[in-house]
Amino acid sequence: MTRFVRPTPIEPRRAPVAATPLATRLTRALFPTPAMSALSLALVVFLAFAAWRFLQWALVHAHWLGHSSEACPTDMGACWAFVVARWRPWLVGNYPSSEWWRAWTCFAAFALFWIWAVWRSKHARPQGVLPGFILLPLAFFALLMGGGPLPYVAPTLWGGLLLTLVVTLATFATALPLGLALALGRRSRLWAVRWLSAAFVEGMRAVPLLAVLFIAATLVPMFLPAGFSIDLFWRAVIAFALFNAAMAAEVFRGGLQSVGRGQIEAATTVGLSHLATLRLVVLPQALAAVVPALVNIMIAVIKETTLLSIVGVSDLLGAIEIGAKSPDWIGEANILASGYVFLAAIYLAVCYGLSRYSRRLEARR
Amino acid sequence: MTPHSARTEEPGGRVASLRGINKWYDAYHVLRDIDLDVASGERVVICGPSGSGKSTLVRTVNLLEPFQQGRLEVCGVAVAADAITRAAHRAVNRRVGMVFQQFNLFPHMTVLQNLVVGPVWGSGVDRKEITELAEQYLRRVGLTDQAHKYPAQLSGGQQQRVAIARALCTRPRLILFDEPTASLDPEMVSEVLQTMESLAADGMTMIVVTHEMGFARRVADRVIFMDQGQIIETAPPDDFFDRPQTPRLRTFLSRVLTH
Repeated sequence: MTRFVRPTPIEPRRAPVAATPLATRLTRALFPTPAMSALSLALVVFLAFAAWRFLQWALVHAHWLGHSSEACPTDMGACWAFVVARWRPWLVGNYPSSEWWRAWTCFAAFALFWIWAVWRSKHARPQGVLPGFILLPLAFFALLMGGGPLPYVAPTLWGGLLLTLVVTLATFATALPLGLALALGRRSRLWAVRWLSAAFVEGMRAVPLLAVLFIAATLVPMFLPAGFSIDLFWRAVIAFALFNAAMAAEVFRGGLQSVGRGQIEAATTVGLSHLATLRLVVLPQALAAVVPALVNIMIAVIKETTLLSIVGVSDLLGAIEIGAKSPDWIGEANILASGYVFLAAIYLAVCYGLSRYSRRLEARR
Repeated sequence: MTPHSARTEEPGGRVASLRGINKWYDAYHVLRDIDLDVASGERVVICGPSGSGKSTLVRTVNLLEPFQQGRLEVCGVAVAADAITRAAHRAVNRRVGMVFQQFNLFPHMTVLQNLVVGPVWGSGVDRKEITELAEQYLRRVGLTDQAHKYPAQLSGGQQQRVAIARALCTRPRLILFDEPTASLDPEMVSEVLQTMESLAADGMTMIVVTHEMGFARRVADRVIFMDQGQIIETAPPDDFFDRPQTPRLRTFLSRVLTH
């Protein structure tokens, strides 16, 4: 048997830098086999063709200026004139123009909140943003409705992107606490609480949101006592909140389950009460685990708000459709399509931003 | 005066007393007619093959595991099988500390926060007072400079020493150790055992479930051998290791002591 003794230790060295040229890497990625090469070529041709057609429509043949559908005589190109002329009501709906500063304040406050959330996500605990989602909507409601020195503006006048923002935040502000309560309810020691929470969550999850909205919009008024009515806006917000509370409850349930039994046992043995264990040990860990999933729920809520236009509340989608029915712009499908593309662009920008944020939170853990 | 420092002596210096404890997991009879007394200042080591019920027994002492028959009295709190209330649970846990195999530190808190959270929020001890005590205990387990780190930044041995300091901060009259070195890398076992030995030297009452037979021989006043949910033999360490009375203990010792 031979013996080996290392005479001097090996110093660490730098890893070698990959020196493969870009062209080689692209060739390897796109054209590894004949069949894959054919597929790659077909996809590239298809994408180039689609992009070229879209750019022709969106830029080359587009109509940019004008005050009526006469500005867009052909459907060869997009009718951005429609967007340029109408964008303000799409952002704020019928909110009185003398009070628009309130709406702008809300947009600006939300943008600032968002920049802050993204900035702090590098080094702070993600659950720190949650109180903002409760406080911001309350402040927005107070500011937008008015009262005191500010003139009152009924929620029926709110519309467009402003309504989308407010409904999303209001849904979040109510669905999060309610969802957490439901998730805790499912772990309750009391049989009735456990059963009711589970029944609500499972029931809501088994019904499409559109059905819940129709029930809130058309069925609920029939059951309310005479002389008692709730505005359609509020009914829709409540329907949204209840539906998404069920979604959030499942997310929270997963978060609570992710906190191990050993944590609860350790908390018990250092003398913490049941409630203190929940508040100091279980919830902080559970919430940190679910923030990315909650952001995903928020993305879903933002997109779901377009369903409001179906029950007659004019969110961004509703406002665009109303715009395309106004006497000046009536007619061409192309005009409406241009509005839809604009709508898609706004949703893409907002939701893609949110989903990047959620990815980043996931990567932090 | 804090609630902790008001020590009352149990009758006969007994810290824990178990009588006729029986426990079943469904049909499986995990604990069978367990009788056990632990005197104040006594060091008891429990060993036995895996599945013998030793962890379950030690977890029964602070009511982490409910039991179906029998009664126990721990630090002056008497509990019968059919009356395990949340209040009894808390009363026992205020007086009994525990160190787990998996450490179970709170990962979202710093070391210092781990130590003070129980006394501050569970027993209403003044934060400043308990912080001083916590720093003392951290010095004692050799982790003074780690107070503001998070558990994930520490080695397994360091985490377990934090867990011991955390148990001490509740000023317990009895500390339970549930296989405290079983999930540690071999090179970290001795630092944890040394910490436990220094506690024992200070007169802390301890019940330790462990496979570390060297520790048992050096530290224990009494060693208990469990098998199939029963206490098979109880003896001072010399008799236990040198003159085992039952074939089952002889077989067990021959397996754990040969390597």
